[in-house]
Amino acid sequence: MKLRNIGIVIRREYLNKVRKKSFLVTTFLVPVLMAALCIVPIVMMLNAKDKMKFIAVMDDSAVVMPTLQDSESACFVDLTGAPADSVKALLTDGTYDALMALSALDADNSLTFEIFSSQPLGLDLTENLTRKVNDAVENYRVGTYGIEGLDRILKDVKPDIRPKSYTIDEDGKENVSEEGVYTALSMILGLVIFMFITLFGGMVMSAVIEEKASRVVEVLISSVKATELMFGKIIGVALVALTQFFLWIVLTVSIVGAAATFIGEEKFAEITSAASSSAIADPSVTATIDQIAPASSDQSEAAVIISTISSLPYGKIILVFLVFFIFGYLLYASLYAAVGSAVESEGDASQLQLPLTVPLMLAYFIAIYAFNAPESSLVFWGSMIPFTSPIVMLARLPFGVETWELALSLGLLVVTCIAGAWASAKIYNVGILMFGKKSTFQDLWKWLKMK
Amino acid sequence: MNIIECKNISRSFGPKVALDNVSLSIPEGRIFGLLGPNGAGKTTLIRIINRITIPTAGEVLFKGRPITRDDVSRIGYLPEERGLYRKMKVGDQAMYLAQLKGMSTSDARAALVEWFTKFGIESWWDKKVEELSKGMAQKVQFITTVVHKPQLLILDEPFSGFDPVNAQLIREEILALKEAGATIVLSTHNMESVEELCDEIALINKSRLVITGPVDEIRRKEGNDNVEIVYTDADGRHTEVFPRQGTDGNLTLSDFISRGVTVNAYRELMPRMNDIFIKLVTGEENK
Repeated sequence: MKLRNIGIVIRREYLNKVRKKSFLVTTFLVPVLMAALCIVPIVMMLNAKDKMKFIAVMDDSAVVMPTLQDSESACFVDLTGAPADSVKALLTDGTYDALMALSALDADNSLTFEIFSSQPLGLDLTENLTRKVNDAVENYRVGTYGIEGLDRILKDVKPDIRPKSYTIDEDGKENVSEEGVYTALSMILGLVIFMFITLFGGMVMSAVIEEKASRVVEVLISSVKATELMFGKIIGVALVALTQFFLWIVLTVSIVGAAATFIGEEKFAEITSAASSSAIADPSVTATIDQIAPASSDQSEAAVIISTISSLPYGKIILVFLVFFIFGYLLYASLYAAVGSAVESEGDASQLQLPLTVPLMLAYFIAIYAFNAPESSLVFWGSMIPFTSPIVMLARLPFGVETWELALSLGLLVVTCIAGAWASAKIYNVGILMFGKKSTFQDLWKWLKMK
Repeated sequence: MNIIECKNISRSFGPKVALDNVSLSIPEGRIFGLLGPNGAGKTTLIRIINRITIPTAGEVLFKGRPITRDDVSRIGYLPEERGLYRKMKVGDQAMYLAQLKGMSTSDARAALVEWFTKFGIESWWDKKVEELSKGMAQKVQFITTVVHKPQLLILDEPFSGFDPVNAQLIREEILALKEAGATIVLSTHNMESVEELCDEIALINKSRLVITGPVDEIRRKEGNDNVEIVYTDADGRHTEVFPRQGTDGNLTLSDFISRGVTVNAYRELMPRMNDIFIKLVTGEENK
C-alpha cells in the first residue's frame, strides 16, 4: 500500500463529490428544513399567546358571568339582554371573536351553552370556556345545598394524581424524564444512521461502477493498486459524509440561533423559562382557573421535555454515533464496492445488492421495534450482530445501554468490518477488470477464493 | 540490454489457460510489436508486465532484475479498454493521473501544459471530458500515458479511434519518443503500422508464443527470400526475380545496365506482415 496514492485518490474522490450540485443542495437545504422544524412551533406558540380574544357573553342564568375574569389572552364583555342578532352581527364585523350564549337555569339547575364565532375557535379555548361554565354551574349547585364548607369537602375528595417519570443516572441522580423524548431521539438516530449508511454506501458503489463503465479503471490500476483505489474511494466518501454531517449541525444551530435573535431573545427565553418554572412550582398554583392559554398540564409537560432534552448525554451520543457510523459505513461501503466492481451498470447491481439491502432493512425494522421494547431480546441481538448493530444500537442508545454491551457490539463490528474489507478487496481486485459478462454470486465466490 | 524479459510466464484463470510458458525479451530503445488474434493472451501478458495480474508461474525481469512497483511507475500504459471520467475536467483529470504516476503537482502541471501546447489543445483544459469527441478524448488519453516520461511505453491499439491525420500525429510522437530513448511495446492489429514502426515483434496465438525476433528477419524467413529487379527496355516494363542468397546485387545491376536497359528498381521481396500473420495463425490451427 502506498499512502501517497491513497491520499491522491481520496482527494479526487472528495473534491469531486463535494463540488457536485446535489451535495450543495442537500447540505444547505436539510439544515433549513431542520431549523424550520425547530422554529415554526415556537413561532406558533408565540403567536397563539399574543392574540387577545374578545368574547361577548349573554348570560341569562347570571351564574357564569360573575366568575369570568379577564386575562392576558381573553377579555369578556357582558352583553346580557342585548338582541342576539345584533351581537351576532358584531361577530362578523370582527368586534368580537366569539359569543357565549347561556340560557337561564332550568329546573335541574342546568343550562344550555352555545358558542358562536365567525372562525373556528380552536380546541384549547373551547375546552377552557367549557370548563369555566361547568365550574361556575358546579359552584352554584354546591351553594344551593346550603351546607357549610361543602365546596371545600368536594375539593378535598377529588384526587389529582399524575405520574412523574424519573431516570436514575450512574451517579444516582434522579432526572425528570419523558418517554416521548427518548422515543423521538431513538427514531432520529436510527433513521439518520440508516440513511447515512445506505446513502454513502450506495455512493461508493456508484463511484466504482462509474470507473468501470467509463473504462478509466484499467488506466488507474496500472498506477495504483486495486486495494489502494478501493480504500481511497471509501475513505474519500466517508469524509464527504462527515463533512455533510458537520455542516448540517453547524448550519442548523446557526440558523436557529439567527432566528432566535430575530424573534427576540427575551421572548424566546420567556417561553422556555415559563415552561420550566411552572414545572418546579406547585401544580395547584399554576392551575389558576382564570388562565386561558396553555393548560397547566401542557406546561409542565413541556418543562419535563425540556429538562429531559437538556439532561441527555450529548457527548456520549455523538461519540457513539460517530464510532458506529464509521465502522458500520466501512463494513457496508466495502461490500458495496465489491458489488460495484462486479457490474458494469447500476441496473445490473440490483440483484447483487440484495444481500446488503436485506440486513439494512431488517436493522431498520428492528430499530423501529426498539422504540416500543428497548429491552427485548430481539433488539438486544439486533444490536450485537454486526450487520444490524450500527442501526439498532443507535436506536437503543437513548434508552440507556451498558458500557460492556457497547464495547462487545463495537468489537464484533470492527472484526467483521476488517473481514468484510479483506473479502471485498479480493473480489474487487478481480471484479474491476472483468468486462462483458454479467457476474453472478458464484463468480464473486470464485474471485474470493482466487489467489 | 533488455528492458523487459519474460521468463516462462504462465497464467490460468481457473481451468482456462490464458498464457502457457511464454518467454520473450524486449530490447531497450526499440519498438516492439506484440501481435496475436483476439483472445490470444496479449492483454494478460501486458497486465502481467504491469503487475496488474500476478502470473501463475514464471517471472518478469526489468533491466535484468525482478520487476518492482517503482519500475511500474516508469511504465506508461495505454490499455485497450480505456476511458476517462466523463464528468471531470480534462485538466484536473490529467493532473490526477500524472500525480498517481508519482509526479509532483508543479512538475505535472508544467509537463501537461507543454504537451497540451504541442497538440494545440490548451483550450480543452477546463472542458469536461463528455464535451470532447472520441478522437479528442484519445489525444488526452495519449498525453496522460506519456506525460511522466516513461522508460517503457505499452500501447494497446493506440490508433483506434483516430482519423488518419491524428493517427499520423501519434505515429510521429511514438517515433519521437523512441528517438528520446524510450522503449515502446505496441499491441495492434494494424499490420501496416507494424511494418512501418516495429523493430521486433512477438506473435502470440492460443496462449503460446509462436514466433519472436526482428521484423526483417521474420519477414525474410517467412517469405521466399527473393529479390526483384524492375527495368524498362524497348518492349516496355519488365520484372525479374532472383533468390536473394547467391545473388550479388552490384553484379546483377551492372549486368543489367550494360544491357542498355533502364533500371527502375531493385528491391528485396518481402511478404507483407499481414500475410505472415494470417499464415502463422491459421497454420497453427491446421496443425
